[in-house]
Amino acid sequence: MIVCVAVVGHQNNPLYIQSFTEADDALKLHHIVHCSLDVIDERVNNPKKSGPTLNETFLGLLYPTENYKVYGYLTNTKVKFIVVTTDLDVRDADVRNFFRKFHVAYVDAVSNPFHVPGKKITSRTFAERVSTIVKSFGLSSAG
Amino acid sequence: MGREVSESCVDSLLTEMVSSYCDRFYANKPELAARRIEAIGFQVGHQLSERYTMERPRFSDNLEAIKFICKDFWSELFKKQIDNLKTNHKGTFVLQDNRFRWLARMSIDPSSEDGDLSQDNSAPVTENKAAQATSMHLYFPCGIIRGALSNLGIPCAVSADISSLPACSFVVRIKA
Repeated sequence: MIVCVAVVGHQNNPLYIQSFTEADDALKLHHIVHCSLDVIDERVNNPKKSGPTLNETFLGLLYPTENYKVYGYLTNTKVKFIVVTTDLDVRDADVRNFFRKFHVAYVDAVSNPFHVPGKKITSRTFAERVSTIVKSFGLSSAG
Repeated sequence: MGREVSESCVDSLLTEMVSSYCDRFYANKPELAARRIEAIGFQVGHQLSERYTMERPRFSDNLEAIKFICKDFWSELFKKQIDNLKTNHKGTFVLQDNRFRWLARMSIDPSSEDGDLSQDNSAPVTENKAAQATSMHLYFPCGIIRGALSNLGIPCAVSADISSLPACSFVVRIKA
């Protein structure tokens, strides 16, 4: 299950962050997202470590913690997507698929003429689409 | 599949936008009108670049990004690629389009030419006026290019040159 998704701008400014848990652990999840920004920077600036995945938008598993796995995605426009899951056996293909759908939703959201680039995404439609995508992720990995 | 918009609608919209800004909103301040039109183009380019780079790996250098603008981006916008790309390898790129779609249906108003052929300076003046009016229509595509490149992390300045009417070239200067 995905517990948190985040969109971070090219200056590491948060554009959208949403947790999907009942418990009151938003702060902890935000902390995890924050830490993962450094991992993304490291991956992107030292490309030899990432080897064959050079310049791919999907950055793969950023780091595992005891309870979570954190995946990252970096668009051509230097916008980072971060997703925190509780599933410990996630298939890469599922995450890739998730990010692809998420990217489409993001592009639609920023193409709104009333959206100010670099500002937080406040669109309710985007929020609804994201939660639909997040829910469908849980289903596809279970089935 | 993306939804398509009638080409002539886009043509009319561009013409109308330019004439609104030049003749109504900022009738006496052409520089201001140009800046506003460029700013609209910037936003459009910014948003389009987000969409059109969706399915591709990240660019490793500026040249790759410029090539993307010349090929894929231009094809999406104008159904053709840039015809010629020149560079001095110091951050200046010249993108030449031999038949720029948004200028293809543009012609110089003949009524202003008929007037006084006897006067020596009438022809250059008309030409000058026409060039000015055409260049107003190029601020929008300049803005699009600048918006797309800056969203890809390349701050730059873009200007346009008209050589002979449907052909034009865009000069991109990357800020170091």
